[in-house]
Amino acid sequence: MSLLYDEGQQAIATEARRILEARLSDESLLPLLEKQGTYHAAFWDTAREQGWTALAIPEDYDGLGLGLVELGLIAHQAGRSLAGAPFLTASYGAARAIIDHGDEGLRSEWLPRLAAGEAIGAIAFGEDQDVLGTGTTFGRGAITGTKSGVTGGLHADVAIVLAADGGDAVLAAVPLAGVTRQGFDSFDNSRCSADLVFAAAPATEIARGDAAHRAALEILALQAVVTAHEQTGGAEMLMERARDYANTRRAFGQTIGSFQSVKHRIAEMYALVELARAGAIHAATREGQSDFIAAAASARIQATEAYDSCARDAMQIHGGIGVTWEAALHLHMRRTRSLAIEQGNMMFWEDILVERLAGEAA
Amino acid sequence: MSDLDAFRIRAREWLQSVASEYGRAAQAGLSTEERLALGRHYLAARFDAGFAGINWPVEYGGQGLGHLEKVAFEAEEMVFGMPTAFFGISLGMPVPIIMRYCDDKPWVKERVLRALRGEEIWCQLFSEPAAGSDLAGLRMRAEPDGNGWKLNGQKLWTSWAQYCDYGVVVVRTDPTVPKHKGLTYFWVDMRAPGIEVRPVKLAGGDSHVNEVFFDDVRIDDSHRMSPVGGGFAVAMATLMIERYAATDSAGFGPHLDLFVDLAKTAKVNGRPALEDARIRSAIARNHAMRNSLDAITARAMLMMQAGMEPGPEGSLNKLVSVRSRQKLSELAIDLQGPLGLRFDEHAPVKHDWQASWINAPTGRIAGGADEMLLNTIAEKILGLPQDHRPDKGVPFNEIPA
Repeated sequence: MSLLYDEGQQAIATEARRILEARLSDESLLPLLEKQGTYHAAFWDTAREQGWTALAIPEDYDGLGLGLVELGLIAHQAGRSLAGAPFLTASYGAARAIIDHGDEGLRSEWLPRLAAGEAIGAIAFGEDQDVLGTGTTFGRGAITGTKSGVTGGLHADVAIVLAADGGDAVLAAVPLAGVTRQGFDSFDNSRCSADLVFAAAPATEIARGDAAHRAALEILALQAVVTAHEQTGGAEMLMERARDYANTRRAFGQTIGSFQSVKHRIAEMYALVELARAGAIHAATREGQSDFIAAAASARIQATEAYDSCARDAMQIHGGIGVTWEAALHLHMRRTRSLAIEQGNMMFWEDILVERLAGEAA
Repeated sequence: MSDLDAFRIRAREWLQSVASEYGRAAQAGLSTEERLALGRHYLAARFDAGFAGINWPVEYGGQGLGHLEKVAFEAEEMVFGMPTAFFGISLGMPVPIIMRYCDDKPWVKERVLRALRGEEIWCQLFSEPAAGSDLAGLRMRAEPDGNGWKLNGQKLWTSWAQYCDYGVVVVRTDPTVPKHKGLTYFWVDMRAPGIEVRPVKLAGGDSHVNEVFFDDVRIDDSHRMSPVGGGFAVAMATLMIERYAATDSAGFGPHLDLFVDLAKTAKVNGRPALEDARIRSAIARNHAMRNSLDAITARAMLMMQAGMEPGPEGSLNKLVSVRSRQKLSELAIDLQGPLGLRFDEHAPVKHDWQASWINAPTGRIAGGADEMLLNTIAEKILGLPQDHRPDKGVPFNEIPA
C-alpha cells in the first residue's frame, strides 16, 4: 500500500472537507459543551448519509470495503472541523473487533447496522486509570463490573468489553440495552462518555487468553491511527488559524507575524503538523504488517504532541481574544485532552513502543 | 522488482564487496591525510564500478540516471561509512555548478572527470567573518585589473580548502548598489599566488574548515561564471543544486538502536535504565519523530518516482533531526555516568555519543542555521512576513556597519 493518496482517496478528502466545513461551525459546537450527553446531530447524520459509517466495513455486510487509509482521511477532516460526535472512531473499533474476531451470528447481527449508522459501537477497555483493565469479570456468558470513561458510552448500542475469566483475559461483545450508563460532566461533553456498569449483562465471548490481549491492543491501535489523523487535522487547523491571525493582527506598527518569536512558533507548529501527518499516513499503510503496533504507537505519540503543542501555541498567539468563549479555540484545547486519553494515553503508548523497540514484547 | 530496487541491490552488492577495503573498519586509526588518500582510492574504484555521478550526464562521466538512483546510492553508501566526506561539497555543489555555468566545455569535462575520480577537489568560498546567514552582506571584493580581476579579502568556514585544487567564489564587484546586486561569481585555482589557507580548529578538535585569505589574487575574466553584478543568482543556484540528497533522520548522529543498546546495559540508581520511564519516554519520542521523518522521505521518493515534485515538508529533516540528535546525545552521555566523561576526538560522529554531542552545534548552523530554516518555513511555505530588513534597497557602502 502506498503513502501517496490516489485520485479516489483525494476525492474522499476533498468531499469530506467541503461538506463538513459547510455543516459544522464553532457556534453550533459551543452549546454542546454545556450539556451532558448531547452531540452534534447534523454531524452524525452527515456521517451516515455520506457512508462514512460504512467505509471500513466489508461489502458482504453492507459496507464499502475500504480501510484505515480512507477512514483516516475522514478523521483528518473531522479533526479540522472538530467532530461533533465520537461515534465514527468508536464504532470502527467495535466493528473491527466483530469483523476480526466475531462469528457469523455477531457479524450479521451488528455489521449491517453499524454500517448504516443505525447502531453505535463502543470500546470498553479502561477501568479507573488503567487503559486495559481486567477487573471486570466474565462467566457463564455474562459480564459483571464497571468500565470507566467509555467514549460514546451514553449512546452506544454494543460494546466490546475486556474482562477476566479466572486467569484468562476475555474479549466479549455486549449489547448495551439493559446496561446502566453513568454519565459525568466532562470538559468535552459531546464525547458522550460514560461509565458502564454491567450486572450480569449477557455477552458473547470473541477472544480469550493471550489472543484476547493481542486483540484488545490491535483494536486500540487501529483506533489510535484514526485518532492520530483526527489529531493531525486539529493541529493543522490550529496552525492555519494562528498563521492567519498573525498575518492580520497588528501591534507596534506591524503584523505580529513579523516578529520572529511569533513566526518561528508558527513554523514549529508546521513542523509538528507535518511530522504528525507523515506518521499517521505511514501507520495507516502498515495495517496487517508485523510492525503495525509500533507504527500506530509512533503515529499516536507524534500526533498527540502535535495537537497539544498547536493548541497551546495557537491560543498564545491569539492573545486575549484566544481565551474567550466566543473565539472557540478552547474547543480544540478541550479536544486535545479527550483525544489524548481516548485510545490510551501517552505513557501507555510510549511503553508499548519501547517494548517493541527493545525486544521486550512477547 | 522495480528498476530502482534492482539498482539498489546492485549498489549494495558492490559496496559490500569493497567494504573491507574502504569502509568504517578500514578507516579506524588513520590520520586525516591517510583517510583522504583512502577516499581518493575509493572514488576511483567507485568511478570504475560505474557508480560515480549517478544523476550526471554520461558525456561528463556520469551515469545518466535519475535523482532517485542518486539518493538510493547515497543512502546505501552511508550504511558503510565510506570515506566520502572530503568530496561531499566538491561533488555536491561546485562541480555541478561549473557544468552548468562554465562555457569552456572541454576544460569542464576534464575537471569533472578528475573530481569524480577523487583526483581533484573543489571548495565553495561563500561565507565570511561578517557574512554567514546574510550571505549577500559579504565584503570580499574584486576589482577590474587589465582584462581580468584582482581579488582581495577573506572567506571563512571553507570546508576542506586545505586539500582543494579549485574553488568557486562569490565576491563584491560594486559596493555602490544594494547588497544583492553588486556581487559576481568566479572560479579560482586554489594554488594561485596570493591565496593563503589557514585551518580553523573547531570545538570538537578537528580542522576541516578554513579561513582563506586573498591578497591581490589575479584571475582572468574567463573565470567569471555570472554576469557582473549577477553573482547572487548563481550563488543561490549553487545552494539549491543539490536538492536531492540522502537525508538521515538520526541527524547524521548515532542511530536510535545504539541508544536502546546503551539503555539495556546502563543502570539508573541501581535499576536497569531501560525500565526508567524517563529513558523509555526519550526512546519512544525520538523513535516516533524519526519514524515520521523517514515517512516524509519515503513519500518524497514515491512522489519523485511518480514524476511529481516532492512537498516542502522535506525541508524539515535537518531542522528536526539535528536538534533531537543534540539532546539525545546529551542524555546518552549522562546515562553513562562517570564513564561518560571519556572522549575520543577522532571517534566517528555516527557511532559515538560524545563525538555526536560536541559536533552537534555545527550541524545546527552549517548549511542553514535553525533560525534561517524557521524563517524559510514561515515565509516561503506559510506566507508570513519577511523580517524587518533595514538594509533593503540601501547601497552596500551606506549600510551602517
